[in-house]
Amino acid sequence: MMQGNIYSMRDTFGKLLVEMGEKLKDIVVITADVGDSSRASYFKEKFPDRYFNVGISEQDMIDFAAGLSATGFKPVVVDFAMFLMRAWEQIRNAVARMNLDVKFVVTHSGYSDSGDGSSHQCLEDISLMRVLPNMKVIIPADPADIKRSFPVIMEELRGPLYYRVGREYSPSITDGLEYDFKLGKAYVLKEGDDVTIMGAGVVLWDALRAAEELEKKGISASVINLLSIKPIDEQTIEYYARKTGRIVTIEEHSIYGGIGSAVSEVVVKRYPVPMRFVGATGFGRSARSQRDLLDFYGINYKSIISSVMELLK
Amino acid sequence: MGERDGIPISLEELNKLKEIAERARRKVIRMLFYDQTIHVGSSLSSIEILTTLFYRYVKDGKDPINRDWFILSKGHAAPALYAIMSERGLVSDDDLWKIQDISGMLQGHPETFIPGVDMSTGSLGQGLSFGIGVAQGIKMRGGSGRVYVVMGDGEQDEGQIWEAMTHAVARKLDNLIAFVEINGFQLDDSTGSVKPKEFLPDVWRSVGWKVLNCDGHDFISLISTIDEAIKAKAPVVIFANTVRGKGFPVIENTKKQRSSPDDARKYLLNA
Repeated sequence: MMQGNIYSMRDTFGKLLVEMGEKLKDIVVITADVGDSSRASYFKEKFPDRYFNVGISEQDMIDFAAGLSATGFKPVVVDFAMFLMRAWEQIRNAVARMNLDVKFVVTHSGYSDSGDGSSHQCLEDISLMRVLPNMKVIIPADPADIKRSFPVIMEELRGPLYYRVGREYSPSITDGLEYDFKLGKAYVLKEGDDVTIMGAGVVLWDALRAAEELEKKGISASVINLLSIKPIDEQTIEYYARKTGRIVTIEEHSIYGGIGSAVSEVVVKRYPVPMRFVGATGFGRSARSQRDLLDFYGINYKSIISSVMELLK
Repeated sequence: MGERDGIPISLEELNKLKEIAERARRKVIRMLFYDQTIHVGSSLSSIEILTTLFYRYVKDGKDPINRDWFILSKGHAAPALYAIMSERGLVSDDDLWKIQDISGMLQGHPETFIPGVDMSTGSLGQGLSFGIGVAQGIKMRGGSGRVYVVMGDGEQDEGQIWEAMTHAVARKLDNLIAFVEINGFQLDDSTGSVKPKEFLPDVWRSVGWKVLNCDGHDFISLISTIDEAIKAKAPVVIFANTVRGKGFPVIENTKKQRSSPDDARKYLLNA
């Protein structure tokens, strides 16, 4: 399978944001001086009056967005994942607490800002966001998934929502698949009987690759794109727990409190099965590419395969 | 309007404001009968500012852009806000006595599910940023609403205030009026002994705010200052000198927020 770096995650998002801006006149875009790097600036070119760079002021940005939302606008806050976390308390105490219609779109999530080192790599955000009341958490797998989900989010979903986009790295995962995004719904990328690999984001490429390799060993794996981490698709998770009896999760995020944790919360409640968690267990360091970091930290198909073999022992 | 001596308010209205403030003050102190953990000192320091704003300036309404917004950024002064709201008929006296009770509506800090509350606060340093968002939203829609934000002096320690201060100027928000109450105390100690505050008006002025000063317990001073603020073509901050615990001698001008129901009873019987 080719990794196929055809579109970048942030470019896809930036272009789509402009399309949504044409359609929905109440959308305003707010960023903390990372408009160019996040591609929020595409929106500025088209709608300068609805675009705000608040400067390097993340905390102010959140309450400013909350205030705009209180007067009927639909703010899209665009920032690097890590630096939005600086204003987590503002997100909690203003936006989530008042259940305001503010969408948070973060680029440079996970290891995607590979060159800038550990200060810029965000491996804690899923955990921090999913604990917030009223907050929804969505993680598209690739550009096709962004195109499927982002318009629905802007047009149909009210209230605070965290949307996690990477940077350039975007291997093709869901291209050509026919499904519509629905909040709280997971999608089957591949059917199999012996084990289920679940996750969200660009690392699903590794899930599919692992399934291919396992097939060669005579092991058939289901692969699930969770996409909606909160709310999470409990029914689908239970169905595959029952069907395959084993689950491996993969995430470009700390294994503490992230996607694996979210899945295991469902599994222990509805149908306990053995699980393994592939994800970050330490801090990031600099690298020339996101792929190098994923391999360095063992967040890849090889780790999935060894986790599956462990479960099958 | 009292034109004769330049005082822009009739004696009748002035007396009415004084009566409302006095009743609100007594209500805040009476809340001590029911809950001894409320922030009485900070609340009493805000009474006249809130009375003036709500009875003379804040324009009510349902339309979010053609009404005024009030944000109590120093959310711990919620009892003062609730007392004024009970005067305005938005909450009942029974509600007041149930402040912070599990069965009551009135929370320890303002929440938007309480009638008349525009922003849920309690975490310091956030009200001004929210006010900037609202003021900007009103401008973009061509509305006539104005935004009033009341902050404390201790609250100025928050870095977010700096972010917001420079932001309001960048947006040229002349429909935003901020108050900084200078009562000289924060939670642990006097403001002077925690972090210097004297330079604050200079900082606000330097970054582009119109800075005004007033006596935050004197209605005439408040009214003439707010009138001037409304005419300004820039965001305005009013440094209002206040006294923590104003009018309640057992805690007045100290860092104490609280007192006993006995003290409250004595005050209410004698005052």
